[in-house]
Amino acid sequence: MKSKIAYIPLVLLGLGILLTGCATGMTPSSWPGVAADAERAYIAFANHVYAVDLRDGDELWRFPEKANNAKLFFAPPVLTPDGQLIIGGYDHILYSLDPENGQVNWQFEGARDRWIGEVLVANDTIYAPNADYKMYALDLDGRLQWAFEADQSLWAAPVTDGEAIFFGALDHFVYALNASTGELIWKTELNGAVMGCPALSSEGLLYIGTFQHSLFALDSTRGNILWEFPTEGWLWSGPALNGENLYLGDSEGRFYAVNALDGSEAWEQQPNGPILGLPLFINETVIFGTESGTVYAFDMNGETIWDKTLPGQVYGPVIPAGDLILIGQVGEQGTPILVALDQNGVQQWTFTPVK
Amino acid sequence: MWELLIVEPFTNVLLWIYKIVGGNFGLAIILFTIVIRLVTHPLQAKQIKSTHVMQEMQQSKEWQDIQKKYKDDKEKLSQEQMKLYKKLGVNPFGSCLPTVIQIPIIFGLYQSIMRALASSPIQLLALTRSLYPTFGAPELVPLNSHFLWMNLAQPERIYIGTLAIPLLAVIVALTTYVQSKLTMPSTPSTGSRDQTAMMSSMMSIYMPLLLGYFAMTYASGLAVYFIASNLVGILQYAALGKVNWQNLLPKGMRSEKSK
Repeated sequence: MKSKIAYIPLVLLGLGILLTGCATGMTPSSWPGVAADAERAYIAFANHVYAVDLRDGDELWRFPEKANNAKLFFAPPVLTPDGQLIIGGYDHILYSLDPENGQVNWQFEGARDRWIGEVLVANDTIYAPNADYKMYALDLDGRLQWAFEADQSLWAAPVTDGEAIFFGALDHFVYALNASTGELIWKTELNGAVMGCPALSSEGLLYIGTFQHSLFALDSTRGNILWEFPTEGWLWSGPALNGENLYLGDSEGRFYAVNALDGSEAWEQQPNGPILGLPLFINETVIFGTESGTVYAFDMNGETIWDKTLPGQVYGPVIPAGDLILIGQVGEQGTPILVALDQNGVQQWTFTPVK
Repeated sequence: MWELLIVEPFTNVLLWIYKIVGGNFGLAIILFTIVIRLVTHPLQAKQIKSTHVMQEMQQSKEWQDIQKKYKDDKEKLSQEQMKLYKKLGVNPFGSCLPTVIQIPIIFGLYQSIMRALASSPIQLLALTRSLYPTFGAPELVPLNSHFLWMNLAQPERIYIGTLAIPLLAVIVALTTYVQSKLTMPSTPSTGSRDQTAMMSSMMSIYMPLLLGYFAMTYASGLAVYFIASNLVGILQYAALGKVNWQNLLPKGMRSEKSK
């Protein structure tokens, strides 16, 4: 009898482990964040930030060397002009790494929640959005300059015209702050949460997509809405501005080209799955990936030039790296987290982390 | 199947309540717990009745005689107990059913809370795909995860200087302990403790520790569920007149009637 009772803690422990499994879902909580310089690609995914050689996809270093489940990385890393790699973790810490070897230069521990979005580096300042509702401004040595608090989490980087920074928040607002002091210049309520980074034109028009199926154009000086373009699904990122048009994909798998001046639709296509990532422009070609795992290259009239189907799902942006384009993906265990294609869609190498 | 039958309905009901109560997710969890308790009340009542019958049986002369007669032969004792269970039509595991039913509810609720609060991109994607179209999900997203002093998507801590105190985990452990004590049947006066009594006693120690650990480690929304569930559970027992208040007192202070 006693031996049976002794099993109770074991059964309870088993339940605990089961709950842990359910809690974490046994799957990553985001997709790879990718950046590149002339020699290396940097991938933030799950327990590590990896640096891989752009020539062959071989791993050069990883941070931290040993996996620690308290430290998870998904925010896209960002390179600064003075040679730092800035990456935020789900451990609430913003790290500055040496891109050569992954050694920590400094770390900022002043935030209270996850770093989900990438940072913007401009004016010798790091503008870092955090899920604790705050936009932090740090100098290049990681010292806090100012912080501004919104009413909900910040998941995406701001853009800047040099004087002000502009960003959207999950609280349905878009904010304009003085880039030097963090003082609020204006804020405008939109119809839904903003998950993506806005686009800013040289004419001072600010473009931003929402979760409530709309793309908005705002006057960046005062924040008033100039026009609204309705989309079929919700918008996760962007839009991306190229020439006269804005390019964006939605959760219903539509890809749109929209006139940036008046918000009229130039063309629309329906590839094979939801589009969450920002497109890339190379030589009059617009390239983006879908959740179904296909990378599409369209000409500027929306005609398909090539497409390439990958084994995983593509949620993030397409990243340029010299003659290559890099695509982060998620999938079953063993699926490469990074695929390098040439500009014709031919696969050059893949990167799968070795445990 | 798990998604379709448990997680998606739970998530949608939670969001529906959230919308009704004006965007308070903590209140939505508490109301959802009450709904779950109401739905499972018939089972709970059956379990309470079954426990009561068992308690009466364990205080009968026939039971006491068996305990004395076979106290040195555990196997024989077990056989004779089973015979008595059969004779009186008592299912010794009947009282376990509501506990077993709670397990998928706890798992499902935790997943639903995490999904609804969507604190990461994949969770937000999963949320958008599990919502029924009638709820107007885009305008609800993101949910307000703050309730009292807590962020329901994060483990809870109260900071006193640099000291982080998991207050909610302590409350979870306390309410679980109190609930198990109040609802535990009294032990037979002979002092002999059969397997069921032993199990109850062990559970009253391990469950508060385990649930307290969960509350300390996981999102505080789960802790809110545990506390609400414990308090509603005590009220349920009280409404059926089965709360054993004497069990909260040290053994020496309990009245004879409760023994």
